[in-house]
Amino acid sequence: MAARTFEEEKGYISKETNEKYWVNEGFVPNMKVPGVFYVNDGLRSLLDEELQNYCDRGNVGGFLPAVKQLANVAALPGIVGKSIALPDVHSGYGFAIGNVAAMDMSDPEAVVSPGGVGFDINCGVRLIRTNLTEDQVRPVQEELAQALFDHIPVGVGSQGIIPTTAKDLEEALEMGMDWSVREGYSWVEDKEHCEEYGRMLNADPSKVSKRAKKRGLPQMGTLGAGNHYAEIQVVEEIFDTAAASRMGINRVGQICIMIHSGSRGLGHQVATDALTSMEKAMSRDGIKTNDRQLACARISSEEGQNYLAAMACAANYAWVNRCSMTFLARQAFAKVFKKNPDELDMHLVYDVSHNIAKIEEHLVDGEIKQLLVHRKGSTRAFPPHHPLIPVDYQFTGQPVLIGGTMGTCSYVLTGTKQGMTETFGSTCHGAGRARSRSNARNKLDYEQVLHSLKSKGISIRVASPKLVMEEAPESYKDVTQVVDTCHAAGISKKCVKLRPLAVVKG
Amino acid sequence: MVAEAPEYALPQRQVVRRRRPRGQRAAAESPRKRPLDEAFPGEAEGRGGEEGAALKIDAPATAAGTGAEALPEYRSQAIKGQKFEYLDHTADVQCHAWGADLPEAFANVGLAMYNYMTPIKGITVDESLSRSFEAEGHDLQSLLFNFMDELLFVFHTEFFVARRLRVTKLDRESWTIEAKAEGGKFSRDLHECGTEVKAITYSAMQILESPTEAEVFVIVDI
Repeated sequence: MAARTFEEEKGYISKETNEKYWVNEGFVPNMKVPGVFYVNDGLRSLLDEELQNYCDRGNVGGFLPAVKQLANVAALPGIVGKSIALPDVHSGYGFAIGNVAAMDMSDPEAVVSPGGVGFDINCGVRLIRTNLTEDQVRPVQEELAQALFDHIPVGVGSQGIIPTTAKDLEEALEMGMDWSVREGYSWVEDKEHCEEYGRMLNADPSKVSKRAKKRGLPQMGTLGAGNHYAEIQVVEEIFDTAAASRMGINRVGQICIMIHSGSRGLGHQVATDALTSMEKAMSRDGIKTNDRQLACARISSEEGQNYLAAMACAANYAWVNRCSMTFLARQAFAKVFKKNPDELDMHLVYDVSHNIAKIEEHLVDGEIKQLLVHRKGSTRAFPPHHPLIPVDYQFTGQPVLIGGTMGTCSYVLTGTKQGMTETFGSTCHGAGRARSRSNARNKLDYEQVLHSLKSKGISIRVASPKLVMEEAPESYKDVTQVVDTCHAAGISKKCVKLRPLAVVKG
Repeated sequence: MVAEAPEYALPQRQVVRRRRPRGQRAAAESPRKRPLDEAFPGEAEGRGGEEGAALKIDAPATAAGTGAEALPEYRSQAIKGQKFEYLDHTADVQCHAWGADLPEAFANVGLAMYNYMTPIKGITVDESLSRSFEAEGHDLQSLLFNFMDELLFVFHTEFFVARRLRVTKLDRESWTIEAKAEGGKFSRDLHECGTEVKAITYSAMQILESPTEAEVFVIVDI
């Protein structure tokens, strides 16, 4: 096939509103549904640039641009509605990161794809509130950052400090947060404020390979490296007072803690194992995809079911992981302030997952359907009155936690009805990378990045200096633009803005 | 599998990057290392020298024409003596490694992955930890994938980092690979931390061979 020019490619993209664009059928072969992406003008230019580069290169080199990936996903068997890209979208493995796709469970041909979940299964964010204010924290800011860094194991090759045996791991995989509660690392009320109540019920530890378990055992309760972090944040602005007060956030200057982590090596290995087994299943069942990376298996097949059971285990593991770190963060605060975590009101506001596939019910063309919703780099954002969100948030909609990048702000959003109808109840997950890692390392200066953080009054503890450049705010899209686009498009609503005081990273 | 995939899906690199004509290589020489030197002031010198030594043992027969002077532009990100570099990718990192033949290129891409997690020049070889790796596949790509997955697995479970890696057997009949590694145990207290590699991917994976040279491209998930 002759490569099309950039102008020809652009002919397949049509604009609906200032924030919403359609990718029409024909952009890549076999598209079963159209693609749609939500971007404003600023973010649009980044996508265009990627596509332009791809066209200029012709058929040589590099990787697929996010828009192509979005369209290739729209060609997967069993997909319904549309393939959706959110404002923070960027090129990923198979699926773009920031891509949502829903498969019809009643369609025997429908597939599940590990690429649609990502390697870091149930990578997610949780927010813990406190009753402290910025004035109380400023004087001990450095001490507090150090205490967090000392308590939470971070970085390459770190090992968990909460003792775990192989038997504990099996139980944790099956029970998720129930395990943490039973072992005393989590509070009972935490469970209520967690997606899926911290436990996927279809988890079957026997479907997780020995290799995965072996990788998972030493890493339980570790933050990891890369974009994962623990941050002390301060409430900068409240957009929706009523919703924020339901979350226990009632004043500007209030201190919160945000933890971003995932299922560590266990999840990565589960994904790798599934990719290998699905390759075989694809040739057996004659499943054709546009891209080898979109390895998938029919949901009803053995491989599909095994993956879903193993993925659920990895999801449970990730929740246990975040619970263990919550426990450690509570201890760190308790030590510094010489008060117990209860007195500090260190309750969980919410815990969201942004790399997961879940079976949900949605209205498709006026009919209730059971769908397997893949969310990769996307957060579930259910509207008010949805039965699957906690009682506390019935009137506000589900809290959606958007982690910013090192040194920039983070947001709490709430789910909306429009999001439920338009995007299968999903919204963005973060800033999304704009600059590649090696580009960042070569172009940015380590000292400069640190200096600029310091001048903003942010304490930082990082295990690896290289990471400072790779994860610098300049490497990412502007999170505020991402969030504003989602707000303007109506798929989620702004509630609270937070800015960091201290960052702990791998 | 690859043959089935339509052309547009997995763009294959025909010519990896433009090679400069011979005369211009000298001119390209000076800016070659610059970006990284600037990023790590004062660090680059030690790195280059030491790693060069470490890797020579690994590959006594230096690949034809890949001496420091003849380095083509497209390998310009490699630190002196290294036979691997890291290329641009939005979310992840693309490891590009080369060698006189395929076993050497495979070994170098393995080192490239370890080096991303911790600079391997900092690893002292502990003879007692010397080990061998085995992996199998059903074609060349899956063989490379499984080989690297094995290396990563050993890092994540035993914290072993290879300083020297030699592929001793690469069988294209049964698709098996065997390698010997010397290295040490990574400790956060002793060694510099890089970034954790989460997984190996097939994304834009390329294995290129010519009679005198081989090179591989692997994107690792960060």
